[in-house]
Amino acid sequence: MSSVIVCPSCDLAHRVGMSPATGTRCSRCRAPLQRPENGNIDTAIALAVCALVLFFLSNAYPLVTIQVNGTTRATTLLGAASELYTQGHAGLACLVLITTMVGPFLQISGLLYLLVPLRRAREAPGQNTIFRLLAQVRVWTFVEVFMLGVLVALVRLSAYARVVPGVALWACALLMLTLAALTSRTTPGQFWRWVDGGRG
Amino acid sequence: MSEAPTGKSLGLLVCLQCRATVRALQVAYPRCPRCYAHLFHRKPHSLAATAALLVCAAILYIPANLLPVMYTRTIFDDEQDTIMSGVLVLLHSSWPIAVLVFIASIVVPLLKIISLAVVVFSTWRRSPRYRTQRSELFRMVEFIGRWSMLDVYAITLLVALVQIRSLAFVSVGWGALAFAAVVVLTTFAARTFDERLLWESPP
Repeated sequence: MSSVIVCPSCDLAHRVGMSPATGTRCSRCRAPLQRPENGNIDTAIALAVCALVLFFLSNAYPLVTIQVNGTTRATTLLGAASELYTQGHAGLACLVLITTMVGPFLQISGLLYLLVPLRRAREAPGQNTIFRLLAQVRVWTFVEVFMLGVLVALVRLSAYARVVPGVALWACALLMLTLAALTSRTTPGQFWRWVDGGRG
Repeated sequence: MSEAPTGKSLGLLVCLQCRATVRALQVAYPRCPRCYAHLFHRKPHSLAATAALLVCAAILYIPANLLPVMYTRTIFDDEQDTIMSGVLVLLHSSWPIAVLVFIASIVVPLLKIISLAVVVFSTWRRSPRYRTQRSELFRMVEFIGRWSMLDVYAITLLVALVQIRSLAFVSVGWGALAFAAVVVLTTFAARTFDERLLWESPP
């Protein structure tokens, strides 16, 4: 089909072959232009299922437990956000929830919703619009930053209390890696290649 | 260099969502035939929107650094922490983490605001110099900006954990909200900026 593609970063038109073996970059602005998009859809689905399980684990169990003078206190992610809310910082609570819970959940469940039918060459209702919206959600998924933020809090607390990392913290760390792998395997170019492959 | 064929000169539009290249149609609001996203030659009001968001972010950067982000009440004393004093506290327990927080919370937002301002201003002037470097700077800034949320998450967790009524009690300060607002505003500023404007030739 069309062998002319336009760089989304600088609008330069390029004449290209269909599937490059390695990633190509724009000759003018150096933005990534094409990737070798021949990933396996099964891998992506497996990663998404794995991420979903890790997501539930990281929310169902306490992230951290602290012990001071015989008193213990633990918190989950939702508990942390609701504490912000009770202190009158609803906006901050929403931001934390969106970037660490709603964002990842929409991303994982949305991808599963699209990829499972796609594997059988079927189209989920609203497929194109949903995939477009998922790209917007991805910008607001900050799991890796959250993970580091938790570690910073642990370091600060370790001077005053005994700190015990919970199951959810490990799940969260694994979720961070799984989400990164999932995101790099479900780029828009890759997704549309699967869609076009199913039709052809 | 000015003769290089661009999407605009060839009448081609690129979908910023799914990266499909399509022939421009003579309709008011063209949409991508593949993913149904709006298509533009350039994002509408890009420079004005980015500049406005950036000014807001720059203003909020001041209270974000001056207002306390966290109050600590223990049986011995009351303390308030700004972002910077939090870094100094961390310096006692673990300096690599302190450096990390300093870079993520103070250096990154400032660099992001300054870099975006430089990119927007030079694009507005249609400066032909260092285009590739500015383009790469913009993409790097877009990528690292999210790390500024680090301290907001750390505070969230501290607030939730340190609620041992008789011993210690931590609450959030308005500085944290200002700080989060800086991150959100600069993220939106980067998203409303159309990189392609950077490459338009001078009039």
